[in-house]
Amino acid sequence: MNLIVIGLNHRSAPVEVRERLAFAKSNLGEAHGSLLAAAPLRESAILSTCNRVEVYALADNVTEAVPAVRRFLHEHHKLADSVDPYLYEHRDEGCVQHLFEVACGLDSMVLGETEILGQVKDAYSTAQEVGATGVVLNRLFQKAFSAAKHIRSTTAITRGSTSVGTVAVDLAEKIFGKLGKCTVMVIGTGEISAATARALRSRGAGTILVCSRTHERAEALAAELQGCAISYEQWASEFSAVDIVISSTAAPHPIVTKDKLVPLLRTRRPRPLFLIDIAVPRDIERACGELDSVYLYDIDDLQLIARENMAARERESVACQTLVAQHVQRFVNWLQNNHAALEERYRNRATNATLSSPAHTPAS
Amino acid sequence: MTDRIFLWLAQAFYAASCAVTLRRLRAGDGGMRLQRANYGVMAAGFALHTVFLYLRGHADGRCPLTNLFETQAFVAWAAVLFFLLIGPSYRVSFLGAFTAPLVLIICLAALMSPVDVVAATPLVHSAWIDFHAPIAIVACGAFALAFVTAAMYLVQERQLKTRRLTSSFLLLPSIEQLDVIHFRLLIMGFAMLTAGMVGGIVSYRIVGHWTTPKIIWASSVWVLYGTLVLARGFWTLRGRKVAVASMTSFVLMIVGFWGVNLLRP
Repeated sequence: MNLIVIGLNHRSAPVEVRERLAFAKSNLGEAHGSLLAAAPLRESAILSTCNRVEVYALADNVTEAVPAVRRFLHEHHKLADSVDPYLYEHRDEGCVQHLFEVACGLDSMVLGETEILGQVKDAYSTAQEVGATGVVLNRLFQKAFSAAKHIRSTTAITRGSTSVGTVAVDLAEKIFGKLGKCTVMVIGTGEISAATARALRSRGAGTILVCSRTHERAEALAAELQGCAISYEQWASEFSAVDIVISSTAAPHPIVTKDKLVPLLRTRRPRPLFLIDIAVPRDIERACGELDSVYLYDIDDLQLIARENMAARERESVACQTLVAQHVQRFVNWLQNNHAALEERYRNRATNATLSSPAHTPAS
Repeated sequence: MTDRIFLWLAQAFYAASCAVTLRRLRAGDGGMRLQRANYGVMAAGFALHTVFLYLRGHADGRCPLTNLFETQAFVAWAAVLFFLLIGPSYRVSFLGAFTAPLVLIICLAALMSPVDVVAATPLVHSAWIDFHAPIAIVACGAFALAFVTAAMYLVQERQLKTRRLTSSFLLLPSIEQLDVIHFRLLIMGFAMLTAGMVGGIVSYRIVGHWTTPKIIWASSVWVLYGTLVLARGFWTLRGRKVAVASMTSFVLMIVGFWGVNLLRP
C-alpha cells in the first residue's frame, strides 16, 4: 500500500502543456469516476489549478497504478503526444512532503501565496463528495491543512506583498487605514495602473476616477472598475477630492510638478496624498514627495519593495521546510503504526465489494 | 516600604511585554497570538500596579499623590489604563509595544530615585484637593498615551516618506488612524486637565496657600495642550508637526514637574 502523486506544475511544464492537462471544475467529479475505473487505486484526489495538475492516490500495487494514472491523464484529455517528460512522481514520504509543501504555498510560483490552500481544499472536498477519498487521503489532506495553518501563523512566509499592485494597496492602507472613503484617480490606462486600480477596488476603495488621452479607454476601464471616466483636461480640477493618484501616461515630461501641486494641495481637505507613479519616463516630479503629507512612490520603489518582500519570504522558507518536515514525520509515523489495520480494513472491504459490484466503494 | 515590591513586580511584567514586542517584530504580522499575549501581560502588570497604589493609598490615608515618586507611579498607571481601554476598542495594533517601554522608564525612574519621601508639610484634606489632583494626573496619563501614539505616527510616517519599510511597517496602524486616536487622546486629556484646574482653583480658595511654581507649571501645561488641541482642531498644525508638538509637550510637562517638585524645599 503506497501513497503516490503524479503531476506537473509551473516548473516542470510550460503553460501550453499545463492547459491541455487541466481539469474543468464542472466535470471534476466525473473525472474521478473515470480515474478510479481506469487505474487500480484505493483512494484518489485530483488537484487542478492554473499552475498545476496533480493526482494524489493510495495504491495497492504501485507498478500497475503509476502507468495506469499516466495513461488516464493521456487518454482523458485525448492528447496526441506524450506528456510523460513533464510529469513528476513522488511516493510515500515524498508524496506527503509534496502535498504539505503545496498546501503551504512553498511550491507555488509566488512563494508563500495563500490562494493555493483554498484550491487544495476545494479539490479535496470534490474528491470526498464523490467518495474517491478514504481513511488515508482524508487524514493526509486534513493534516496538510493543519500544517499550512501552523506554518502561516508561526512564520513570516505570507508576509509582505510581492506584486507592484498589491504593494501599492498595502501602502495605501498604511496611509489611510480603510480605503472606503478614499477617492482614487487613474491618469493613463496602462496595464500596471489598471492592475493597481483593480487591487485598490478589491480592497474596498471608494470612488474611482479614470482619465486618459484616449477617452474610450478611460471609459472602458472606468466601466470595469465601476468608476467614472473624466476628460484628460479635467484631472487638475477634480484634484481637490482625490486621495490616491495612479499615473501612467506616455508623456515625455512630468505632468504633476511641485509648482503645480502646491496650489492644488491648498484646495484639498487636510488629508495625506498618495501618489503612485508607474510611468517611465516619470509623470510626477520627484520633489513632490518632499511636500508635507505627500507620499510619492514610483515604479522602481514599488518593485524594490516587492523584491525585498520576495527575498524575505525565500529566507523564511528555510524555517518552513523544517516545520513541514516535522508534520510529514508525524503523518508517516501514523501511517506506519496503522499499516496493518488499514490493510485489514481494505481487504475486508474488497471482499465485500466483490459480492456487490466491481466499482470503487466509497470509504468512510 | 513593602508596597514598593508590587510596583517592582509590575515592572517585571512591563519588561516582559517589551520582550514580547521583540518577538513580534520577528514574527511579523503572523504574530496575532503574541498581540493577545502582550495584552494579557500588560493587564497583569496593571493589576500589580493597582495593588501598589491601593496599599500606598491605604498607608497615606488619601489618594497616593503625596510625593514625586507616588505621582510618577500614578501617571504611569493612568497611561496603562488608557492603553488597556483604547488598544482593543480602536483595534490599535502594536500600541502596547510603544506603551510598555515608556511606562517602564517612568516607573523605573521613580523607583530608582530617592524621591519616595514623606511630605515635609502636613497635607490638608479637602474634597476638592482629593478630586483635582487625581483627575489632573489621569489627564497626564492620557497625554502619555498621546505621546505613545505620536511616536508611532512618526515612525510609520518616516517609513512611508523614506520608502524604507522595516518589519514594524505591517504591525503599525495607518497614519490616519494614529492621527485620529492621537487627537482624541489630546481632547480627553485636556478636558480632564481643565476639570482638575477648576478643582485646583476652588481648593486654592479653601486652603489659601499653594506653592507658586506648581501653579505656574499647571497653568503652562494647560496653555500648552490647549494651544495644541486648538491648532490641530483648526488644522493650523497638521501631520507630523502635531506629533512632534505633542511629544515635546509631554517631555516639557514631565521635566517641569520634576523641576517644580525638586526645587520646592
